[in-house]
Amino acid sequence: MFSLSIIKDTVAIQPSQFGQPADEAIIAELNKKYANRVLHDIGLCICIFDLSQVGEGKVRYGDGCLWYKVVFRMVIFRPFISEVVIAKVKSSDEDGIRLTMGFFDDMYIPAAYLPQPAAFDPNERAHFWLPDSEAATSQQLLDSPVSDRMYIDQGEVLRVRVEAEDFYDDEPGPPKMAEGVQVVREPKRAPYNIICSIAEQGLGPVAWWSAQQGGEDDAMDQR
Amino acid sequence: MEVLNGRSALLSNYEVLTLLKELENDHLARSKAAMRIKKEEEVASGQHTHTDVLPDISENLRTIQVEAIQYLSSEHLPTTSQTPTGVSNLITALAPYDLTKSEKLQIVNLAPTRPVELYVIIEELEDRLGDSMDTILDTIKSSLSAPPPSHVNGKSTTFTSTATSLLGASSSSGGRGTWDEVDAEAIIDDVEFVDHAGEAEGDLDVDDE
Repeated sequence: MFSLSIIKDTVAIQPSQFGQPADEAIIAELNKKYANRVLHDIGLCICIFDLSQVGEGKVRYGDGCLWYKVVFRMVIFRPFISEVVIAKVKSSDEDGIRLTMGFFDDMYIPAAYLPQPAAFDPNERAHFWLPDSEAATSQQLLDSPVSDRMYIDQGEVLRVRVEAEDFYDDEPGPPKMAEGVQVVREPKRAPYNIICSIAEQGLGPVAWWSAQQGGEDDAMDQR
Repeated sequence: MEVLNGRSALLSNYEVLTLLKELENDHLARSKAAMRIKKEEEVASGQHTHTDVLPDISENLRTIQVEAIQYLSSEHLPTTSQTPTGVSNLITALAPYDLTKSEKLQIVNLAPTRPVELYVIIEELEDRLGDSMDTILDTIKSSLSAPPPSHVNGKSTTFTSTATSLLGASSSSGGRGTWDEVDAEAIIDDVEFVDHAGEAEGDLDVDDE
């Protein structure tokens, strides 16, 4: 789920930070720049792990900052494809389920990756799975008795497999003007999306499998 | 900026949690010290000073630290009941089974205790492992220590007693078990009196969008 990336960058340390030891000031500056941000094709930056190389601080003409060339290692959140992770349901709609891990919530399960046959119940605002059912159309599924349905409710903890990842790098482009006023551009897409699946034995709400295991196999050591 | 190596090493959840906790403790200790110095100066000079003595820490970093610690110490993950020796023993014990690096990493991160959980992680489990599955599950179970309540806060002993109790309060109020937004605020609120009032809630709101 987490990995280390080696990155090279140049940082400027403001004169007000000269009182601190140089390494602390550099780490603070790098964390300010990277922490909780997505690097394209790299992943979500958590924090600086350590500094590998730091050049000599140089003063440029024009400002009083000390500029350091730094090579550092950073903790990155980027689950690899086919990794199994634990996440929580943030919300559900017709197209699928949105998941959250607390610090990262651009994770989605498209409807196609739900265990089949599954359907979305608009009253409950939740998807459900009908195990061992012949029903194929969503109409048939919604006519099923409620007691047979296994709902995936909001806030439930799911075990999911990472199927794909999408990085978007939206170019900001030139500023748009409307009647002389600058229009604030809203970011359309999240920079990093993870597509997950629960269409497999053992995946889905953690509670489903712990309950089933208990019923089938009493010899198993229960928690 | 130049990326020299996008994935030079894989980190287990336990390592990340330990790192984040260290940073958190460090931050709390510094804020406390800065607060104390400010108080002393005020008493000595007899007037209220408005100088910003808090160490410079970015809001982004604080947000992700708090949220990631919460996720990693939730009860659905085994991370808080792991120990460095437990993990290294587990890896040694798994060596003869010819698992890939990523499979071992997932075993460490998720600590499966039921066969069905192991099925998900390891491809073609029955062909590759056959009868040794139960042995593996037992090994994993034995690598986890029962989480004593003090374990999570065990590293904070070097701080002043107030810092320790602050940390204890925040993790018992919701560190384990859930990572709801409510709890996030509770934790931030606890930390708040060392921060500027109101600031922390503000940056949480931004991130909720």
